[in-house]
Amino acid sequence: MALLAAPLLTACGGQTNGSPAATPAPAGNVQPIQAGAGPANNTVDGLFTSVTICVPNTSNCQTIDGVQVDTGSVGLRLLATQVSLTLPRINDASGNQVANCAAFMDLSYAWGPMALADVRMAGETAASVPIQLMSVPGFPSAPNSCSQGGTPNDSLSSLGARGILGLGLFRQDCGPACSGAYVPVPPLYFTCPGGSCAVAAMPVANQLQNPVWLFSQDNNGLLIQLPSVPPTGTGTLAGSLIFGIGTQTNNALGSARVYLTNNGGDFTTTYGSGTYSGFLDTGSNGIFFLDDSTIGLPDCPTQDKGYSCPATTMNYTATNIGIDGTSAPVSFSIANAQTLFQTRNVVFNNLGGPDSGSFDWGMPFFLGRPVFIGIEGQSSPAGIGPFWAF
Amino acid sequence: MLRQRCQARGNQAQRAATALAIALTTVWLAAPCAWAALGQSVESVAEDQRQMRGTLRSSQGQGFQMQEIASEDGNTVRQYVSPAGTVFGVSWTGPTVPDLALLLGPYFDEFRAAAYSPVRRHHPVTLRTEHLVIQTGGHVRALRGRVYLPSLVPASVAAGIIQ
Repeated sequence: MALLAAPLLTACGGQTNGSPAATPAPAGNVQPIQAGAGPANNTVDGLFTSVTICVPNTSNCQTIDGVQVDTGSVGLRLLATQVSLTLPRINDASGNQVANCAAFMDLSYAWGPMALADVRMAGETAASVPIQLMSVPGFPSAPNSCSQGGTPNDSLSSLGARGILGLGLFRQDCGPACSGAYVPVPPLYFTCPGGSCAVAAMPVANQLQNPVWLFSQDNNGLLIQLPSVPPTGTGTLAGSLIFGIGTQTNNALGSARVYLTNNGGDFTTTYGSGTYSGFLDTGSNGIFFLDDSTIGLPDCPTQDKGYSCPATTMNYTATNIGIDGTSAPVSFSIANAQTLFQTRNVVFNNLGGPDSGSFDWGMPFFLGRPVFIGIEGQSSPAGIGPFWAF
Repeated sequence: MLRQRCQARGNQAQRAATALAIALTTVWLAAPCAWAALGQSVESVAEDQRQMRGTLRSSQGQGFQMQEIASEDGNTVRQYVSPAGTVFGVSWTGPTVPDLALLLGPYFDEFRAAAYSPVRRHHPVTLRTEHLVIQTGGHVRALRGRVYLPSLVPASVAAGIIQ
């Protein structure tokens, strides 16, 4: 019971943790984050923070907590139902509303119009940032090329958060590939004349932006710090999102190794004789790698699908290799997910499941291991992004 | 891109009979689109290449042929073809996901059920049944996945080659 009581107390503390824009934390670049079940209390190994948005260039602001911190995507997406401000929408040259689509690895998707907001976290501000309003009532529905038969992230319960703060390696969610410089234009941006939406090229500046690179300082990347947890997990866990790399005394690279990635944001992970794409993703609620045909980890029963349920905890070592050859082994464990869930804890360092094509280092990787994210094209003492450092 | 141009063939691709496929060839040419559906014969790799405006690379494996199309926007699609000319597996990587309704044809509903989760736990989708395997993963700018039909994988081929 002690294990159960402690997390509940922490959870209450976490939920009141919205940081008003007018009173930034003393350090100016430290944003509180919470690992846990999220504002809908329906996930595990999630990572959340609060974000303040303002009508551009005004003091008309709103702080939204329970926003998922996702290093696997880029840009701020907020459920329209959670936004009380009236934000200016982004239109194309013909005055048609512009919409954005994000497809996620679980084949859920985010759909909705683009808007502009000042984005504030800790003491940092990014001015007039293109963001996405998800699931706006009355807005044209997602085209098939966006939805793909997946699950819409259209409510607090279906998303498990009030929004998604994508803090991945890139400046934009798409970049030059969606600008019209290349063909075909992938279905990430749409214009919606007459109530139906069609794929459109979008200038890079109008795409969904990683707000961090638009900060006036501490804009070359970020550092995620979370404590370690015991093998049986814990309740809600407090940590820090620290903006900048080597810009202040609290974000020095120290002994972290730098892993440069390819254009897609992947390094290489080797396990046994196999070579795989590797990436770090706080939006993945576990470590996902290989499958039962490769390593014999049994899948969990249907209600816990997507996770592994070995009879005893299994220990593994894989090696991460940056594209410039930097490498180091990583040891991790996979416990029985059903057993973990039965503890009623919500943060685990040994939760995992199958992924045939890549090593998806999700939330467990970040527990007790500071991770730097170097944004593409941004210069820091660790070099020019995109890179991870840990 | 692909998926919107492919609606016409999407319905047709679900019709499995070889005789029908021959009869429909003219229609397909009239409404060209990418992707042979999984389990269908590989008939229009050149058309796929045209639709993706990508470069085509064919390679011969042990007991199968792989047709890889890479396009400028970063998408790469690989179709795995048996000696009999049947597509038994498809994999993709890139910023977008191919038209899964078209690709999976009659298996699409099964896939949707596998992708749906009543609790919001974000993880790769894995579906493994006797007749269908689907696995997706990756992240923004580098989504990936593979699907294959175990019963159509040539006996001499390990499904693990579909990557």
